[in-house]
Amino acid sequence: MVIDLDKCTGCQSCAVACKAENNVPYGSPEEHERRTAPFWHKVIAVSHGEYPAVSIDLIPMPCMHCDDAPCVTVCPAKATYRREDGIVIQDFRRCIGCKYCIIACPYGVRSFNYKEPEEREYHRPDLPPDRADRGVWPFPHRVHGVVEKCTFCFHRIDQAIKDGKKVGEEVVPACAEACPARAISFGDLDDSESQVARLLASRQWLRLREEMGTSPKVFYLPK
Amino acid sequence: MNRRTFIKILGLTGVAVFASRFLNRSVLGSIFPSPGTPEGEGVASEKWVPTSCLNCATRCATRVRVVNGRAVKVTGNSLSKVSEGENCARAHIGLQVLYDPGRITTPLKRTNPKKGRGVDPEWAHVSWDEALSEVSERLKTLRGKGQPHQLLLLTGLNTVSAEDIVSRFADAYGTPNVISADGLGNEADKAGEWMADGHYTQSAYDLAQTNYILSFGVSILESYKPLARSLRMWGKIRRERPNRAKVVVVDPRYSVTALRADQWLPINPGTDSALAMAIAHVIISEGLYDSDFVERWTAGFDEYKSLVLRDYAPERVVAITGISADTIRQVAREFAQTRPAIAWRGRGATSWPDGSYCSYAIFCLNALVGSIDIPGGVIYQDNPEYKAMPEPAEDNIAREGKAKPRLDFRRTYRFPVAEVVTNQVADSVLNDEPYPVQVAMGFNCNYNMSAPGAWRWDEALGKVPYYVHIAPFISEMAEYADIILPAHTFMEEWAYDHSPPGSGFAEVRIKQPVVKPLYDTRSCVDIVFEIAGRLGGTVGQSLSGIGDDAQGFVRYRTAALTSWEKLLEQGVWVGPDYKYYKYADIFYTPSGKFEFRSGNLEALLDETGQGTNGLTCLPHYEEAEFLGDSSSYPLMLSTYQPLLNIENGSQNYPWAQEMFLVMHGTGWTNFVEINSRTARSLDIGDGDMVWVESPFNKIRAKARVFEGIHPRVVSIASGQGHYAYGRWSRGIGVNPNEIIGVDYDRLSGQAAFFNTRVRVYRA
Repeated sequence: MVIDLDKCTGCQSCAVACKAENNVPYGSPEEHERRTAPFWHKVIAVSHGEYPAVSIDLIPMPCMHCDDAPCVTVCPAKATYRREDGIVIQDFRRCIGCKYCIIACPYGVRSFNYKEPEEREYHRPDLPPDRADRGVWPFPHRVHGVVEKCTFCFHRIDQAIKDGKKVGEEVVPACAEACPARAISFGDLDDSESQVARLLASRQWLRLREEMGTSPKVFYLPK
Repeated sequence: MNRRTFIKILGLTGVAVFASRFLNRSVLGSIFPSPGTPEGEGVASEKWVPTSCLNCATRCATRVRVVNGRAVKVTGNSLSKVSEGENCARAHIGLQVLYDPGRITTPLKRTNPKKGRGVDPEWAHVSWDEALSEVSERLKTLRGKGQPHQLLLLTGLNTVSAEDIVSRFADAYGTPNVISADGLGNEADKAGEWMADGHYTQSAYDLAQTNYILSFGVSILESYKPLARSLRMWGKIRRERPNRAKVVVVDPRYSVTALRADQWLPINPGTDSALAMAIAHVIISEGLYDSDFVERWTAGFDEYKSLVLRDYAPERVVAITGISADTIRQVAREFAQTRPAIAWRGRGATSWPDGSYCSYAIFCLNALVGSIDIPGGVIYQDNPEYKAMPEPAEDNIAREGKAKPRLDFRRTYRFPVAEVVTNQVADSVLNDEPYPVQVAMGFNCNYNMSAPGAWRWDEALGKVPYYVHIAPFISEMAEYADIILPAHTFMEEWAYDHSPPGSGFAEVRIKQPVVKPLYDTRSCVDIVFEIAGRLGGTVGQSLSGIGDDAQGFVRYRTAALTSWEKLLEQGVWVGPDYKYYKYADIFYTPSGKFEFRSGNLEALLDETGQGTNGLTCLPHYEEAEFLGDSSSYPLMLSTYQPLLNIENGSQNYPWAQEMFLVMHGTGWTNFVEINSRTARSLDIGDGDMVWVESPFNKIRAKARVFEGIHPRVVSIASGQGHYAYGRWSRGIGVNPNEIIGVDYDRLSGQAAFFNTRVRVYRA
């Protein structure tokens, strides 16, 4: 995934669309205070400098889907793993809720589901039930007491591949689809013809916390 | 066929029938529901419905995915060209508007005669028939007494079809008092353009092709409509063309727009007109203006030029604006030399007592660089040609009623240029000025929250003898109703819509029900049809034969555009491409040209009896008058609208609430933003609770020490502070309109939001 911060308008369509697509529960003021509100994709603000030489960066933060993901390394239950295509997935049935991964993640993009099962406001009967053939899908019943995270909307990607559609052109994750400035691009980094590869070849880019050696797969294009 | 074969075929058919039942249900889900999955899980039915949003006035075209009869996802409609198929975050919130658990489910009648803030109306459920006959009786009686003008119709954010039907109803009934919320929006912006070229509308800009944007207090990325278009174009002009457009933002506050721009000029509040005139000074004195355009298509240039050269040298406005002369020169030169360039004005610059003049001063910069009706400049919005309705039937009662002066004093000595003076109406009601109001009806409005001096609306609505509120949910304003008629949300109703000016070309979208209405509600249009029918006579006549219900009305009005089937299927109709360079047709001024000295204003002031002097008809800077003296109230209060402040009068949407303040990475609150130096001098720390006190009122709020704000300004986001309603909105944050005083742009009657002074101290 490539996110162009020169095009991004900070509108948060990505974050809301993710919530709608993936049935991510909304938080409450109390959860917000405790920093436990669940988000799979969130726009964060980082500010530097003093008035009037101030600058604030607004950075959309999905999971970075690292090649060397600390969350995968630390998970004692092998509940989080990296698929062959590079997507880092959380298996809710294996997760024991120890939250090591939350601590290990340098990007803070993992959420623990503190919601009680009876909180059915986020129940969505339309979403596909468990699909054991390609990892465990949390819907329609969310699992209380496990860690959740962005999946790069793998359900869309898998379906697209099944239907013979082009991932990155015809089908993209919900956040990329919803971006009105078209700042989020998605595709195969190994394919030099893909839009993401072309963008990275044409512009300076950066990755967050490169020094951690995680080799994240979300690239940012600065102004 | 022997018996065995027959049984085989029968068996196979049976399997096929059995399988197909599941296969039909399994577009996305598995064939066999997993154990423990309740009945009805998985996708039994799925459809995508083209409709449109109504969480702000942009009213974007959308497509809604409906699974098993439930709306689950909103996306853009790629056929819409205004935003090139895109939506902003507000569109997704539509799901939570529809499924808001606090919606009103049936008509409600007040049983507690006492009205006031915090007073429980003691609602009783009543039938539609009972509610409507009570309302119609009231209206009939008022009209029977020959006082139709004493009906006040207030509108908030409605569909265009609802706006059209309400004004037709008003015409037929005989009241001149249809008051929209526009007077709280950007009327001064409109008046500024009208002075120059005769168009009393929001300006449209050809964003896709512009190379330079100079923004004066415009919230381009958070609230200026059409918002989704601005967001889409932002991406386009930054990185989808070989030449990246430059954006410079003038604003006392470091807004989302400013942080995404290339340069931020933190100006002293209320001095944007001085800066605009100084930029004109540089452009004219250095000969950088478009002399061809100025000579051929403008009038009054010499007077304007001599005023600019006499009074507005950059060095002279440094002390006023707080912006250095070097910076003024740099921006002016870039603006004049990076064409096509646009100078864009917004509420931050123009919601001031001299707002129209400021708006005029900024708008004139466009003419100086020839950015009038050219690709990448100011453009002139084409309006969709809905099928015209026949003239409404009028009787003497209606004619006499409409001839009465209006409650908002528009186009009078008080507000000579105004089209609507929303905030004046509260005082008019309180003072019976020019006459008392007997009945008021509010359509999706919540002025008790959204208007400065909010407390006056509480008093005014407490005074109106009979108030009918029409909306999907309770609000601060609904609490004063005698009857509440519950309206559909926009995903349940029929309507036609278009965006405010922006695209140039015309575009219409429809709304069609995405799901069956969840409760016993009706669309605003149907409610008006029903009331008109019950009133009968010329009122009933005027509203018959134009479709007869909300769906029919959409069909009637859009008949000239395209076929009905196509409209239902596509959801949008896009008009012909925009044509530039229409100089012979676009200037509605005495000279037929763009006027640097406003002939329109001169003629109007003649009519309303104002005196004029040498400056009156020229753009100029006036020192702002503040409410509150600077020794007792040393800080200036400003407000801004975050993108996730939903504009329908509610804020009861957890998605919007939890991401409310993107700049502060937080939600479920709003802050008093205060510069770190100022905070230090007042011994205020980040997160402290403080009082913000104006000469009128005070509120207790949380301080946010912030580097992105002018040291003499404090700023509060609008949208919070609800107290009447909402599991997710009540008791969260504060409403700055509760301490802002009442003032107006002298010409357009635009409410002045930013000239109230405050003091801030620890609570």
